[in-house]
Amino acid sequence: MDQKNIRNFCIIAHIDHGKSTLADRILEMTETVSARDMKSQLLDDMELERERGITIKLNAVQLSYHAKDGQEYLFNLIDTPGHVDFTYEVSRSLAACEGAVLVVDSTQGVQAQTLANTYLALDNDLEIIPVINKVDMNNAQPEHTKKEIEDIIGLDCSEAPEISARTGLNVDQVLEQIVTHIPAPSGDVNAPLQALVFDSFYDPYRGVIALVRIREGKLRTGDKIRFMATGASYEVLETGIRTPKEMRVDELCAGDVGWFAASIKSIQDVRVGDTVTNAERPASAPLSGYRKLNPMVYCGLYPSDAAKYEDLRDALDKLQLNDASLYYEAETSQALGFGFRCGFLGLLHMDVVQERLEREYNLDLICTAPSVIYHVYLTDGSMLAIDNPARMPDASKIDRVEEPYVRASIMVPDEYIGAVMDLCQNKRGIYSSMEVIDEGRNTIVYDMPLSEIIYDFFDRLKSCSKGYASLDYELTGYRKEDLVRMDILLNGETVDALSVIVHRTEAYKRGSGITIRLKELIPKQQFEIPVQAAIGGKVIARTNIKSLRKNVLAKCYGGDISRKKKLLEKQKEGKKRMKAVGSVVIPQEAFMSVLSMENDPQK
Amino acid sequence: MTPRNKPEALYLHVPFCRSICYYCDFTHVMYRKETADAWLDALEKEFASREFNPGLKTVYIGGGTPTSLSEEQLERLLSFLDPYTSHVSEYTCEINPETMNETKAQILFQHGVNRVSIGFQTDNAKLLKNMGRHHTVNDVKHVMDLLRKTGISNISLDLMYSLPEQTMEDLETAIRTAVSLNPSHLSLYSLTVEENTVFGKRGYKSLDEEMEADMYEYICQTLPSYGFHQYEVSNFAKDGFESQHNKVYWTYRDFYGVSCGASGKEGYTRYDVTSSLKKYLENPLERDEILLEKEDAMFEMVMMNLRLKAGMEKSLFEETFGIRFEEAFRGKYETLTEQGLLEVSQTHVKCTEKGFPVLNSVLEELL
Repeated sequence: MDQKNIRNFCIIAHIDHGKSTLADRILEMTETVSARDMKSQLLDDMELERERGITIKLNAVQLSYHAKDGQEYLFNLIDTPGHVDFTYEVSRSLAACEGAVLVVDSTQGVQAQTLANTYLALDNDLEIIPVINKVDMNNAQPEHTKKEIEDIIGLDCSEAPEISARTGLNVDQVLEQIVTHIPAPSGDVNAPLQALVFDSFYDPYRGVIALVRIREGKLRTGDKIRFMATGASYEVLETGIRTPKEMRVDELCAGDVGWFAASIKSIQDVRVGDTVTNAERPASAPLSGYRKLNPMVYCGLYPSDAAKYEDLRDALDKLQLNDASLYYEAETSQALGFGFRCGFLGLLHMDVVQERLEREYNLDLICTAPSVIYHVYLTDGSMLAIDNPARMPDASKIDRVEEPYVRASIMVPDEYIGAVMDLCQNKRGIYSSMEVIDEGRNTIVYDMPLSEIIYDFFDRLKSCSKGYASLDYELTGYRKEDLVRMDILLNGETVDALSVIVHRTEAYKRGSGITIRLKELIPKQQFEIPVQAAIGGKVIARTNIKSLRKNVLAKCYGGDISRKKKLLEKQKEGKKRMKAVGSVVIPQEAFMSVLSMENDPQK
Repeated sequence: MTPRNKPEALYLHVPFCRSICYYCDFTHVMYRKETADAWLDALEKEFASREFNPGLKTVYIGGGTPTSLSEEQLERLLSFLDPYTSHVSEYTCEINPETMNETKAQILFQHGVNRVSIGFQTDNAKLLKNMGRHHTVNDVKHVMDLLRKTGISNISLDLMYSLPEQTMEDLETAIRTAVSLNPSHLSLYSLTVEENTVFGKRGYKSLDEEMEADMYEYICQTLPSYGFHQYEVSNFAKDGFESQHNKVYWTYRDFYGVSCGASGKEGYTRYDVTSSLKKYLENPLERDEILLEKEDAMFEMVMMNLRLKAGMEKSLFEETFGIRFEEAFRGKYETLTEQGLLEVSQTHVKCTEKGFPVLNSVLEELL
């Protein structure tokens, strides 16, 4: 196909604004997918993605469109993940496009991720087509939404299609605007190869498959190629496109979007954002914008059943084949035995990995509370990066501790400003600025420790603003803080997996919050269990789990036998999912209890 | 279990009530004369197609509310049982003060009923109202007088504790009142909020665990001083008045289950007669059967027997399964004896004073 008839674009939106639904409609209307094959939200491959309504891994689909000008066009639709954890991946998939369809829900208007994604698209010089979605809803405010987009983002909305991705209303206008507004790709097919890797996945038979956008030159089967950042070299065995089913083609040329396989065994060789070039005729420089991703959030993952340790390792190995940003290494806990310290891009990423391990690999896991990486400077001048609070050295050896900070931008309507500011203040936020973005709405910016964001910040933000506030954040650097390790003791014994690093001024509040929560979570046992929070051996909070006094079925007659036995079996099964630490049996949720705050009305 | 003699106990379920108690999750439907007639027709068919041991020792008619039936219906029901009751030593019927009268008392007596169980629950009018009960203490007293006059003097009262809003004082008063009515047997049940009850649907939570434990402790300590010894987790009796029928369940012996919603056990087979009245009317023999594995049966025998204060006779276990208790539960029971929760003597296995109130924890270890 002639380069001038190719359109490479993606769809960007705030979560739940209708990105995947619009993608589905476009696929349907271009008859890429027959209605028979149509599952709702087709681009979201994984079961988990469809269930949570989020896109985790990127996908690219080629479709052909017969436009009103009578010509055939080739569309490459590149799906982007819709969550703050995956900002970098979003930016790379945007970099593979010339244009973006910006979907805004007309019942909600511009939200934080609308802004964040639009800025990412502008950074990548994309042509943006604003689209007003959900206009079939009773509470739709299309005119207001357009005005918001014009005022806040500065995009002209005079031609913005008012659509319903759900019903398909006016989606044809979107298709036409993709043809007329988004520029065709440029790039010289005869230049040395420069292909941008924007995603990859693992195929058990063919190794890692890289999804690429060809910027310059050609990529053909048999070519020797090199990944410019990782330096890995391979011979291309297959090239192709997805429609969304895989289809082999002989070559991919400048402007094309497609995939190639080269018997690549390690996903670490194929980094998102890297540039693929021809090993024999290399480009002089890689494409700009490559970044190696580092995990931001860590937690310990342990099998409930120690015998499943190897199964967990296998499962992590397999997951990592598809997820280069998942990091793990073996660790040992006195309380939990053998397990892994795992690193994630963010909380959602962590949740998704945990759920996949439990669901796809049938593992029962105990997850410790998430932690960030603390920089601990010792008195001897060296620095330790601590990703597990239990590893924090003795206070006497520490000169200072630094923790990662983020800049959090929160978009919030007037009436919740007070509540949101209280929350940020509570979370050790440092006020930076507030901007009125249009009548009734504001962006508040706080500098905040990342550790506070991972402690249930998002849920609380949503609840204190009745769901209206939205959040975006980026890592800004490390700051020195008065941080100490708080240990939790059960029945007099320190449970290492419950240790947590806290700000000294918050220690008492957190300590009592955690001990109270543990008291609620740990089932009563035959003896009384003291629950203590301690810093450097000094107890700062304490409560007791009273011993179990009565645990017997009131009635058990002839007709009750089966039912009562099942009840006992269920209770026993529940205990199996718990971990015996010393003499105390602890349920899985308890290991997350260090996230709980005092004065939490819900807990 | 080697095939033994036929069951010597029979339970018959009457699935009708005149009103629904908020805590009840037994099979029950609102009483309507026509429905009850149809049910009796089906029951007649069930009696015609099943064979029961003519030498039954105990019979128990429970519900629902057996006395929700009309006089004629009650008469008809009991006549079905007549062929089997000549050797019966304990013949119990559950009754409800509101649906009881002199004629019904006489019908019961004439057919050989010699024990009744009355839902007293509590003497506090407000608490009774909270649980959907419509009787008063006077109603109970009146019915007890009536029964005694008729000739039925073995009377058991059911009480409930750990009720929403109930205080310790409420319980003390309820026990005093119940004892003053001079029953021969008392059952005290802590409220269990089951999902499919009015309480469950209204989201009631049971009382605080500590409070419940205090109440149970009070009950177990107080009733003996009134002459009621505890012989089971929730059951107390004057000497010689332990429920023979219920002890069949607790010693894990066989029993017939008759009518919609009843369960029976014969050897390794346990069955539940359908709990759907509609299905029962279509086919009174409709039932679910479970064939028990030996392991299941061994556990269940222990589960039931440990509810008894006296515990389980080891010889009974050995005779039934051909294996000693210690052998069957090796590796499971030792921790319990070490923790002082279970006592294994030459002749018996039983919970200690410490183990008895936490029987579930004990049983979980043995599972």
